[in-house]
Amino acid sequence: MKQITGRIFIFGYGSFGKHLYKHLYKHNKNITVVIDNTQTQDVQDSQANIVSINIKQNDDVLSLGIDPKEDIIYCAMNKTANNLFLVLTLKTLFKEINIIAISNSYENARKLKYAGASSVIDLYEATARRFVNILTKPAVTRAVDEIIYKENDLKMAEIVLPENSAVDKKLLSQFDFKAHGIILIAIIDKEKGNDLYFVDHRVDHKLDSGDTLVVVAKKNDLERFQKFLGNENG
Amino acid sequence: MKVKDTKSFLVKFAYFLESSEKYQSVKRFFYNLLENDDYPYKKYFDFFMIFVILSSVTLLVMDVKHHVPQWLDDLDLYFVTTVFIIEYLLRMWVYSDIHKIIIDEYEEALFFSRDLSFTRLFWRILKNKWEYMTTLSAVIDLLAIFPSYRGLRVLRVLVLFRAFKMLRYTKSLTSFLEVLKNKKFELLTLLTLSAFFIFIAGIMLYVFEGDNDNPNIHNLFDAFYWALITISTVGYGDISPVTTEGRVVTMMIILTGIGLISFVTSIIVSSFSERLGILREDRIVNSLAKKESVTVICGFGLLGRLVAKELAKEGVDFVVIEKEEHMAQLAYSMGYKSICADATSENVFSQLKVKTNVSHVLCLTSDDIQNTFIAVNVKSLNPNVYVTARCSDEEIAQKMRFADVNQVIMPEEIAGMMASVYVGEPVAFEVLLSIIEQKEKIQIDEMEVLPGSFAEGKTVSHINFDELRIILLGVLRGEKKEFVFNPKEDFELHSGDNLVFIGYLTAISNFKRSMQ
Repeated sequence: MKQITGRIFIFGYGSFGKHLYKHLYKHNKNITVVIDNTQTQDVQDSQANIVSINIKQNDDVLSLGIDPKEDIIYCAMNKTANNLFLVLTLKTLFKEINIIAISNSYENARKLKYAGASSVIDLYEATARRFVNILTKPAVTRAVDEIIYKENDLKMAEIVLPENSAVDKKLLSQFDFKAHGIILIAIIDKEKGNDLYFVDHRVDHKLDSGDTLVVVAKKNDLERFQKFLGNENG
Repeated sequence: MKVKDTKSFLVKFAYFLESSEKYQSVKRFFYNLLENDDYPYKKYFDFFMIFVILSSVTLLVMDVKHHVPQWLDDLDLYFVTTVFIIEYLLRMWVYSDIHKIIIDEYEEALFFSRDLSFTRLFWRILKNKWEYMTTLSAVIDLLAIFPSYRGLRVLRVLVLFRAFKMLRYTKSLTSFLEVLKNKKFELLTLLTLSAFFIFIAGIMLYVFEGDNDNPNIHNLFDAFYWALITISTVGYGDISPVTTEGRVVTMMIILTGIGLISFVTSIIVSSFSERLGILREDRIVNSLAKKESVTVICGFGLLGRLVAKELAKEGVDFVVIEKEEHMAQLAYSMGYKSICADATSENVFSQLKVKTNVSHVLCLTSDDIQNTFIAVNVKSLNPNVYVTARCSDEEIAQKMRFADVNQVIMPEEIAGMMASVYVGEPVAFEVLLSIIEQKEKIQIDEMEVLPGSFAEGKTVSHINFDELRIILLGVLRGEKKEFVFNPKEDFELHSGDNLVFIGYLTAISNFKRSMQ
């Protein structure tokens, strides 16, 4: 995972907020939990840095001192209506802010995206998939466990190609990712705009600096590959 | 001395029957054949009986106008009657166990240290069988035997009871009668009311027109007949009023008749709509009870709906159990099999044959305690059912695992993990979402290498994944299903391996086809 220079704000400390905090805390200690003081919440036994404000007041939100360029915001209130309101508030206050919002349905995800959330996590979609996969695709469940959910050295990551990298100007077919222990899954080819392409070798993309690669690999292989590319911040 | 011998023989025989495996299995066979709807061969027996009844009724009806050949008549007399008598006796036999009554009586006599009394025993057995003989279906069965007796012509009417016998073999007819039975009170009230109107109107018409004014009314019976024909709005017109008074009576009972008929119709219709849900659920339970691996979804909230949708897409056979009636109704209207029942009780699961036919149970209600309750209920009925439960609280999750729930899934945990691990990597996150949620045409899928298939024995480099437009993620191998990530070019595929890969839908189906 990339190092985040900014702080993380989690709005809401309900069941989802608590889980989120637990996982985020493993990677980044600079977390502020913001709760709504108009609603009672169970925050007693928490070690987290908790700030209580009235989220309906712009002044209160501004007083948090959010840096829209660096900080990341999670909207994890229990009610989607509150999350929606929060996204709108934050977007009107800070245009460029990066917001990840939680939603409980596909329909609400659409509304949150419309309101300006950069990513929306559907609380139930992934869970429902998992319930079904356990039944119908046990091997897929295992693989997804290994790659995504388990804390092991296998992970999915994105790599932005640096200037003059080792693969610069090469076609996909000319470079053997497998030899580096890397599985390339998707690519954003800058030449073709900002669309995400899954790499199924129908199109032989040319690798240039600024292209984003989404890969699955073991941590060691990934680090080695980053060094090989000449990516300093990897 | 002789009486004592008989008694001891009787008791010994009763014990013999109780312990005889063969006797029990024969009796069980006949019980299944006659009474057990789940017994696969019962339907053949039912078909046979329906055939026998229909042919016997046809013969009797044909006999009215045409002469039926003697051999057919004999067939009807001997064969059909024999079948009916045997059936009647068998039903009486399987209804209860006489030897159990004897044993019971004997043990009771021992307990109170008195002699086994023949009369007491006789009365108990008679009472027991009499219970059966007085049930409606047994009476119909008995009456259906009689039409074979040719001496009395009026007995021929009893042929109707042969037709009634068919009720036993056809489920839909029985459920119709059930509906009427439920509205017995309302229907009886209406019947009394109409009888009252017919009585009054009949008498009035007789008084006004009976004394030679109307040539068609000879007696009170004619007047009642007219009243019934009019009130039912049938109106043959063979008898019609001729005096003004008579016509006024007619006008009144026609109006009453319209009211009564619409009343009866509405009662039957409303009763049907009330029962419809139950009838439908019965049908669902019956159809599922015949399947071997049924998946049960408990709870039809947000998550339940999503899972149901995905399962339906995958073609998995499942049924939704939901406590709230409107939610169960919603599931039904979305085209899923649904039962409105409490999943924490044994009832619904034993109806679904949890011991043999249920393979997976998914506890998806939004209440953790409720999910635990359902999981424990299912596991206590059959520990082999694979139970997956949703839970939001780690402490409750531990208890679920303690109760042997096979998988506990925490939505907040999954979403939280996804959200945290990919912070700062929005593109990877989008890829992850589309793979996990399978919203787009890109899918993650699996395929087992079957013995003798194309893939068996081939190396990874031999199968040109790139050309097949497939991204191979890894292979699950061995008993423990170890995950071999990104297998090397010389990795050889064995039968039993599971390949996990990503690709577009069309590429996946093409790949699966070419690997066979």
